[in-house]
Amino acid sequence: MPTPFRIAVVVAGAAALSAALLFAPLTGRGQTPTDEKAKAKAAAKAKQNAKNFENNAAVITFYDRQGKTVGTAGERALYEATVFSPDRTRIAVIKDDLAAENADLWVMDIATGKSTRITTSAKNEFVQSALWSPDGSQLAYVTIRSGSEGVYRKASNGEGPEELLYKNASAFMDLSDWSLDGRFLTFSKSDLSGGVLFVLPLSGQGERPAVEILRSESRIFGARFSPNSRFLAYVSNRVSEPGKNPVYVRPFDPSGGAPAAGPWQIADNSRGRLYWRRDGKEFYYLGLDRSVMAVGVGTAAAFEFGKPRVLFRPPGAVPFFISDISRDGERFLVLPPPKGPQLQQLTIFDRNGKAASKVAEPGLFAQPAFSPDGTRLVVLKNDLNTGLADIWTYEIGTGKASRVTNDALPKNSPRWTSDGKHILYVSFRGNYNGVFRKPADGTGGEELLFRYTPGAGLNLTDISPDGKFLVCASGGVILTVALTGTDPLARKAIEFAREEFDVGNGRFSPDGRFLAYVSNELDPDRNEVFVRAFDASTGMAGEGKWQLSKEGAAGMQSWRADGKEFLYRQFVEPGGADELQLMAADVAAAPTFKPGTPKALFKIPGVYRGNLGNISRDAQRLVFAMDVPADTTAR
Amino acid sequence: MSHRIQPFSALAVMLLAAASLWAHHNMSAIYDFNNRVAMSGTLTKFDWRNPHIELIVDAKGDKDQMETWTLEGPPPSFFRTRDIGKSDFEGAFGKPVTFEASRARDGSKSGLLRTMTLPGGKVVSACPQNC
Repeated sequence: MPTPFRIAVVVAGAAALSAALLFAPLTGRGQTPTDEKAKAKAAAKAKQNAKNFENNAAVITFYDRQGKTVGTAGERALYEATVFSPDRTRIAVIKDDLAAENADLWVMDIATGKSTRITTSAKNEFVQSALWSPDGSQLAYVTIRSGSEGVYRKASNGEGPEELLYKNASAFMDLSDWSLDGRFLTFSKSDLSGGVLFVLPLSGQGERPAVEILRSESRIFGARFSPNSRFLAYVSNRVSEPGKNPVYVRPFDPSGGAPAAGPWQIADNSRGRLYWRRDGKEFYYLGLDRSVMAVGVGTAAAFEFGKPRVLFRPPGAVPFFISDISRDGERFLVLPPPKGPQLQQLTIFDRNGKAASKVAEPGLFAQPAFSPDGTRLVVLKNDLNTGLADIWTYEIGTGKASRVTNDALPKNSPRWTSDGKHILYVSFRGNYNGVFRKPADGTGGEELLFRYTPGAGLNLTDISPDGKFLVCASGGVILTVALTGTDPLARKAIEFAREEFDVGNGRFSPDGRFLAYVSNELDPDRNEVFVRAFDASTGMAGEGKWQLSKEGAAGMQSWRADGKEFLYRQFVEPGGADELQLMAADVAAAPTFKPGTPKALFKIPGVYRGNLGNISRDAQRLVFAMDVPADTTAR
Repeated sequence: MSHRIQPFSALAVMLLAAASLWAHHNMSAIYDFNNRVAMSGTLTKFDWRNPHIELIVDAKGDKDQMETWTLEGPPPSFFRTRDIGKSDFEGAFGKPVTFEASRARDGSKSGLLRTMTLPGGKVVSACPQNC
């Protein structure tokens, strides 16, 4: 996983692109190469932003209690948060600004679509978690100001200064509700060691001291006050039990004292998003299959609750996530992606870029990879009904599927061993990412091969041809792991490349003597493929380093099985935003490595930057999980 | 810049945010975010590499004794996107700086960098990565 880098920074989109294209001055006298380079970069960035906007900007859409679309509001934008005002006439929206690289809070009038700016952030300041005051006159939100995260409050008409209510000692607090009596905010902080639930009394002036309500070994998210402020609902989960997100309700004591009763578990699993109806008689949350779940509740005396029932399942084969529910429980806000709901079809292309065959029915697929003999695929498949991903293999000829893993644990990077008998993958267990091995046919147990630093991200990018080394990426560093001994906990990561620039995606040459990888050492905004010798006696880099790509590399680095060709993906335009092409370069490994000149093979149709496919070892076929409209396909 | 991940659950978003706290290792397990130290000293050494930079500062303790503090910061790319470069720290080498950090739970003279004021007054913030 990259740094907590905002996944989609900002907007201006098509406008930015138009401006960049229309008003970019022609190169002329007085302009230095540095100027030209900077302008080219700015133009490329604007183009990427426009593409990002085109692919992701949504129109706010409303469902009724039956899941029927009953209206829309405002213009297309990159929304990070959308929250109904208490009277449901306005929406607080946090919008990304891709050009400014920040996110700000606005208030949109639903009837007119007119927006009023509430905050003005600097670069790298991102407003989060908008909350309305009970009377709709103010908004509370989290943002970074002058390098520190805090909770701020400002009038919802945008006038007046913003007021700092609370300065967070750390970051990434989950500000989740403003009590209907107007007296408290609530927020939580969670990490691998557990979670803490706080309330922030709003009486007084200046920074307010937060009151700790609950400290738990479980993480705590999304706390919401009951309308009469007597109870708090929240989601709590344990790192050791991924995929289990039960919903609890507990009495709220503003002093932080231990409650005499509760907590009560009102749902055994959820996807979060908790809401109380204003009358305190109905409670909502999102079910695992994206349904809106409703629970009858009573809060007048002791807490009472009924059995959860499905209020409605949003329409379509891939229902949209509900982003907000109005206080009266009558309107449900969604942000439909511009292309509509998508599934993925595993599609195999030949070396000329022609779609040659399809494998299996469309589903939520990612990270497909050919088996060494090219007869099977391994892929991550997400279950729509649970939101959980597992590893499957498919026979390309017959479509026959074998489930390799069957658990709720997060996993990534499925890789074949060179004999095609096992799948290796990364999975997060407890506080650790580890590399595990399991038979490719799904039989038998899994074996831990390596466990990394607590909490650190990890991607498995290759296994050496002799099976003696793993190569992984973490935090911009390439690590190798020697699979020596029998104790996986005794195996240590070896730094193959640790630099001030980012390196990753190490791939062994077929003879195991070299490692190809990507690095942004020449340009922070662009990766290139480099090759270094691999010293099997140490697991570290040996003598020699060669640059292979010249105009950027966009993933899918792959050696042909005979070691005489290297392939990778590249934007058609350097620094481009959409069109990708497959590149190939002749290479020689003996007596030493010698890179050839890369040549474009073909444009890859319909594949976007983040859609990483795989190249067969004979370099004759590619596989991608291609987007297809979900509502016209089988699930 | 990555493409936006296709719509995923609110909880997943929250977990993503929480997970970013331990981008390379579990920061909160090693450092106490509620135990801050603010000191002035001399930047004597730094390692500007992934997965996180490291700064060494000789500073005077509360009894005027000299202490060597090791400060862990975000990765170089974090600073790059904030228009702060290695050269800013190279220029501060051997010169007085002030810093605020979350102290290590083991009581050692190490911390997670929150802010550093470089000679000339430039303030470098490591938030939200490290705050």
